[in-house]
Amino acid sequence: MRLSLSFAAALFAAAVSAVSTTGNRLLVILDDDGDKHVYSKFLGDLKSRGFDLSFKTPKSDSLSLFHLGERSYDHIIFFPTKTKGLGPNLTPNLLVDFLNAQGNILVTLHSNVAAPTSLAALLAELDIQLPADRAGLVVDHFHHAADNSSASAHDVLLLPPPKPVRSDVKDFFSAGAGPDDVLAFPRGMGATLGASALLNPIVRAPATAYSYNPKEQVGALTADDVFAAGTQLSLVSAFQARNSARLALVGAAEMLQDAWFDAEVTAAAGGSKKKTLNREFAKRLSGWTFQELGVLRTNWIEHRLDEPGDARSNETNPNIYRIKNNVQYTISLSEYAWDSWTAFAVPDNDDLQLEFTMLSPFHRLPLSWDTSRSSEAASAYTAHFRLPDQHGIFNFRVNYKRPFLSNIDEKNTVSVRHMAHNEWPRSFVISGAWPWIAGVAVTVAGWLAFCAVWMYSAPAKQGVRGDKKTR
Amino acid sequence: MSAADPLQVLASAGKGESTRSVLRVIILALIAGAAISSRLFSVIRFESIIHEFDPWFNFRATKYLVANGFYNFWDWFDDRTWHPLGRVTGGTLYPGLMVTSGVIYHALRALTIPVDIRNICVLLAPGFSGLTAIAAYLLTNEMTPSPSAGLLAALFMGIAPGYISRSVAGSYDNEAIAIFLLVFTFYLWIKALKQGSMLWGALCALFYGYMVASWGGYAFITCLLPLHSFVLICMGRYSTRLYVAYTTWYALGTLASMQIPFVGFLPVKTSEHMPALGIFGFLQLLAFLDYVRSAIPSRQFQTFLWLFAGTAFGVGLLGLVVATSMGFIAPWSGRFYSLWDTGYAKIHIPIIASVSEHQPTAWPAFFFDLQMLVWLFPVGVYLLFQELADEHVFIVVYALFGSYFAGVMVRLMLTLTPVVCVAAAIAVSHLLDIYLNAKSPENPDAAADKDADGKKGGKAGLKSTNKPLVGIYAGWVKSVIVSSFAIYLLLFVMHCTWVTSNAYSSPSVVLASRLPDGSQHIIDDYREAYQWLRQNTREDAKIMSWWDYGYQIGGMADRPTLVDNNTWNNTHIATVGKAMASSEERSYPIMRQHEVDYVLVVFGGLLGYSGDDINKFLWMVRIAEGIWPDEVKERDFFTARGEYRVDGDATETMKNSVMYKTSYYNYQNLFPPGQAVDRMRGVRLPEVGPQLTHLEEAFTSENWIIRIYKVKDLDNLGRDHASAVAFDKGVKKKKPAKKKGPRVLRVE
Amino acid sequence: MRLTRSIASALLLFSAGVAQAASAWSFDDGSLQVVAKKSGDNVKEKLNSKTPLANPVTLGSLDTLKLGLTAKDNGNGKRPHQAFLVLQEQDSGLEAPFPMMVKENGKAVLQITHKDLPMQFLVAKKPLKASIVLASFGASQGLNAPAFEVKIGIDPNAPAPTYEKPLRYGKQPEIHHIFRPDPKSPPKVVSLFFTLLVVAALPALLIGWAILGGNVKHLSTALSRAPLSHATFFGSIVAMEFVFFLYYTTWNLFQVLPVMAAVAAVTVLSGTKALGEVQARRLAGDR
Repeated sequence: MRLSLSFAAALFAAAVSAVSTTGNRLLVILDDDGDKHVYSKFLGDLKSRGFDLSFKTPKSDSLSLFHLGERSYDHIIFFPTKTKGLGPNLTPNLLVDFLNAQGNILVTLHSNVAAPTSLAALLAELDIQLPADRAGLVVDHFHHAADNSSASAHDVLLLPPPKPVRSDVKDFFSAGAGPDDVLAFPRGMGATLGASALLNPIVRAPATAYSYNPKEQVGALTADDVFAAGTQLSLVSAFQARNSARLALVGAAEMLQDAWFDAEVTAAAGGSKKKTLNREFAKRLSGWTFQELGVLRTNWIEHRLDEPGDARSNETNPNIYRIKNNVQYTISLSEYAWDSWTAFAVPDNDDLQLEFTMLSPFHRLPLSWDTSRSSEAASAYTAHFRLPDQHGIFNFRVNYKRPFLSNIDEKNTVSVRHMAHNEWPRSFVISGAWPWIAGVAVTVAGWLAFCAVWMYSAPAKQGVRGDKKTR
Repeated sequence: MSAADPLQVLASAGKGESTRSVLRVIILALIAGAAISSRLFSVIRFESIIHEFDPWFNFRATKYLVANGFYNFWDWFDDRTWHPLGRVTGGTLYPGLMVTSGVIYHALRALTIPVDIRNICVLLAPGFSGLTAIAAYLLTNEMTPSPSAGLLAALFMGIAPGYISRSVAGSYDNEAIAIFLLVFTFYLWIKALKQGSMLWGALCALFYGYMVASWGGYAFITCLLPLHSFVLICMGRYSTRLYVAYTTWYALGTLASMQIPFVGFLPVKTSEHMPALGIFGFLQLLAFLDYVRSAIPSRQFQTFLWLFAGTAFGVGLLGLVVATSMGFIAPWSGRFYSLWDTGYAKIHIPIIASVSEHQPTAWPAFFFDLQMLVWLFPVGVYLLFQELADEHVFIVVYALFGSYFAGVMVRLMLTLTPVVCVAAAIAVSHLLDIYLNAKSPENPDAAADKDADGKKGGKAGLKSTNKPLVGIYAGWVKSVIVSSFAIYLLLFVMHCTWVTSNAYSSPSVVLASRLPDGSQHIIDDYREAYQWLRQNTREDAKIMSWWDYGYQIGGMADRPTLVDNNTWNNTHIATVGKAMASSEERSYPIMRQHEVDYVLVVFGGLLGYSGDDINKFLWMVRIAEGIWPDEVKERDFFTARGEYRVDGDATETMKNSVMYKTSYYNYQNLFPPGQAVDRMRGVRLPEVGPQLTHLEEAFTSENWIIRIYKVKDLDNLGRDHASAVAFDKGVKKKKPAKKKGPRVLRVE
Repeated sequence: MRLTRSIASALLLFSAGVAQAASAWSFDDGSLQVVAKKSGDNVKEKLNSKTPLANPVTLGSLDTLKLGLTAKDNGNGKRPHQAFLVLQEQDSGLEAPFPMMVKENGKAVLQITHKDLPMQFLVAKKPLKASIVLASFGASQGLNAPAFEVKIGIDPNAPAPTYEKPLRYGKQPEIHHIFRPDPKSPPKVVSLFFTLLVVAALPALLIGWAILGGNVKHLSTALSRAPLSHATFFGSIVAMEFVFFLYYTTWNLFQVLPVMAAVAAVTVLSGTKALGEVQARRLAGDR
């Protein structure tokens, strides 16, 4: 399945420049066709990457996410729409089903437009909270653009390139950007993320930013009014389900508009005009959401006995091992980057870990790069270790779940049996057993001697009787 | 049936010894035939199928043995039970039964008779029951010179329900061959003791070894033979015969028993085996004293004896206590204590007490299983007491202990049955020998005439060799007694046949019921469900059920289980009990950790089937409470008034438990609203049934006896299952508007 | 809507551009108070926007932290849109804003107790950094000044607040199984000594027999009377021991059993003859 898919992907790659690993049917939800000109560059970029775009309004009758139980589209983009709900074809349940069927969704919001209830419900299911009444505006009086309307409204945030929040996470969204580059976030809505590990902020608001409702909270803010502020406010967020389906939430749809793709802005703090990073960021964000970036694939897994001189060492992936056997485990991984599978390199400060588990891990070991079995398109990671001295049904488990990388959870079940009766060290090897073995030998010799004496002894003077008595 | 045979033989037998032998062989063959055929009811009534629970494991193990050979069987690591621990099956079973079947299978193969291994397994128990009848004949013949006693004993043994209960066709359990081995070992022991023969002693040890390889009940022999010897010694009957027989048996038998991996070093390490070792040592001392007595004058010997015996006993006892406290010898096991205190198990080892076989015997069961043998048994023992030769002491000792143990545990009725048969046969034959004698006594002796029954026994007992002339003169007395006994015997045969066909022939895998028109209706839910599992689940789908069904799932559905009837790991069983007794939220992590795919429960509410899991539920709770007293509490399952209820008044803990939810899920939909009734417990159930969040119904059998639930995977979107289910049902998520308590910030 | 906004903002932009360089937010009359519920040892400090307090204040579990100030835009009391006290936990960098109650004239007050603090702050090891943020729309420069540090005092009698780290996907600590130690043999010298002791029993036995008069003088007699049976009988006994030896070293049960059966048969057959001869000697008084 995966193989054929990647083969198909390779074919497509010949025809167009790139395509996602999970398909290229992209549904774009807009209010009306006029809106799409605003996003023409963004959509054009998508088209040039090989996506097959279909445009639909939420109320369109022909809109159906599923056909005969199969997904009709592989990805969806929601641009802000004026409607309060999204109609019966885009209910939150359908969208959840879409995610469960490994479809990907990119949601964009706008501070002027209340988010549709359907999307708000979907996001609530993912533990992403939108401001009250599904409306809010993020402002920052310290890091805003000083060029145009924002100079006094402070609603165009200028942000540094989004670096990963942790040192062990691969940088997907700001790679290649200089430290002085800026990302414009015009008139966006912020969201807060729950504690779920499936959620990750891509762009967090600066410490001084905050969200308010421009219609109601024009005066001063009170404690109850503040929805969220500072880094708790996530401007662009990512969600990756357990089945690796992805959802990205962009707080400001305007970010993706042509106007902001090549705009030049000045920071409030001063400095020269800079070109925004938005186009590159939009490309990377959509690439990540639509499974063109950070997609991992297991090519093969191999485990075998690693005992020199044991014939069974040649057997690949046996079902059963013995306790205290030395084994070798190798896994081959590839990462998809835009248009091809490449060797996956574990990020710095991170490890690809192998667990050997029964109820709980007995071993958790880092896998190391095996250059001899790696190629440009696949990297092999390997580990050697000794099985625990506990029999049972164990799993070789590589559970590699990391922010922004698709989930790898490979479980290979093997039985670890006890020592068979003839696998223990022989008794003559154990020095403590020597007296006992000698005892057996002496008994045997004594028995034979006794037989001989008993049968062939000539009568002695009186000894024979006494001899017999003690026997 | 053949009950009349010995009578006729005695009445009209030819005088020649050879004719008698031929007749005896024919009669024995007929008895064996009767024993086998009466055990075939189960095949005729139902089908050729393995019964109950344990036999399914034995059957599976036999198939493994036949398929993989002896050595692989020995080293068998079973990764389809006790998931994920696995079981070192080859080292934790008694291989005798499987090896016996395997040998028979290969022997038949070698004779070019292709037989399905299943048929061998089904018919093994009846086959061995024929041998048991013959062994009972041999044993009885060692007790009494009367030729009819042995045949009667063989007959009783062949059809006594107490033995049939464990040996009908399909009941492929260790006891199937073990009872034969038990009786035969006793026979060989008596033989060895009577003759003081090393050869018989060695044979006895050989069969003892076979017995050890076959059944955990071998400890009965291990304790009974030393006890017999000890009683003999105390009676001052120490002899070189005893010395030779016992030491031969003990040395060889212990060596033989240690060859069984499951037994290993137990014979020198556990308290249960210490009496045998102690008597062995004691006999050496006695032999030594015997020698010393022959060497030194008797007065010195007296002091020497007391000094010596005292020190030896003291040193031995001290050694035992020290070795036990140091841990070299394991103290008495819980199972052993429960033999003395019937309440012990319920408090300390609920897992043992939860088995119905381990409950104390109800008194009617004695009559049910032994019928008239119950009252003949003491008579026989009394008659043996009269003579009281070494071998009679054995039967007396056996009778005493067998009766006690049979009273303590239902299961041990089995070990009592042989001695009952032997003793009863002696009683009946004694009676018949007197009353069937057609000739009147020739020497009219006044004393004998008057108290024909009263003093006769007493006199005969004192001098067993010197039999006084006794006899019955009046023909009508004879005919009344004989005919009444013929009726008793007939009734016995009828009772045995009735019990066998009605009570002991049900495979318990299928249930039989009667339709209104009287025809039999088979309820086949178990096999329906197991077949469903076999055909609709992954081959390595792990099934969690209460341990009772572990062997059947392994044998019939061929799916890995968490726990089974080999209850070697109490903690693992308690884990399952906890998962069943806790709420879904708390049991889900346990099930995830153990990789459970399906949960199987047995529900008898629709059919009124009493052996269901709700009725066993309290045992699960108790066993779980034994390990996690803080998390599972039996009290929480009883209402404030101390009632165990399943209806609307059930406690919250009960209603939230996985067991309750899985049993009653959707059950109310079978009935008009508000009319749902649990027919087993005879209560009306609440109108709104339980809701499931972490499990989903996968299968329910025709009569709702078996219900199978699938354990859901983690929610794809990272929600908890309850809210995911609520979302799917369209319940709007409430805004987490104002959270109580301190806020939690999101890190990273 | 959008049009009016953009016009408005354009106007604002214009005015902002004029005033930008000059105006900035600041505050006066800054005061910080920690009010304890029972004891009277209240802390009172003056705050100013230039220099933060030197020493951290301690906020006990029942205390209330009170902050008061007057926000000023370019020296005039005015209400800013954003008047936050931002607390930051130093280890994780987590921040939480606490909006102040501000009046039109810029007077702002704020009260904080343990109940208002996020969980992570209650278990913080280091003092929390507090900074005051005053800012609003328009051209005035916002103020973001570190003001003081707060140490969280935990009531030793109350149950300590617990904070469980949420699950995050990442590298986990390594685990290496600890093996049970292998069974050990006693020192070889001891084993050898006892081995020798055991082996010495054989010569001792033979010598003992010899002293008691044991011999094999009748071997020739026996061999001459029943040569074949004696040879095979003794041979079969030796052969049986050899079979045992082979079982110990290489053979398995199924190889051993037939050979044993064969040897045993030979033993029995030849044994009856050979032992009969021995019996004959015994009856003859020759033993």
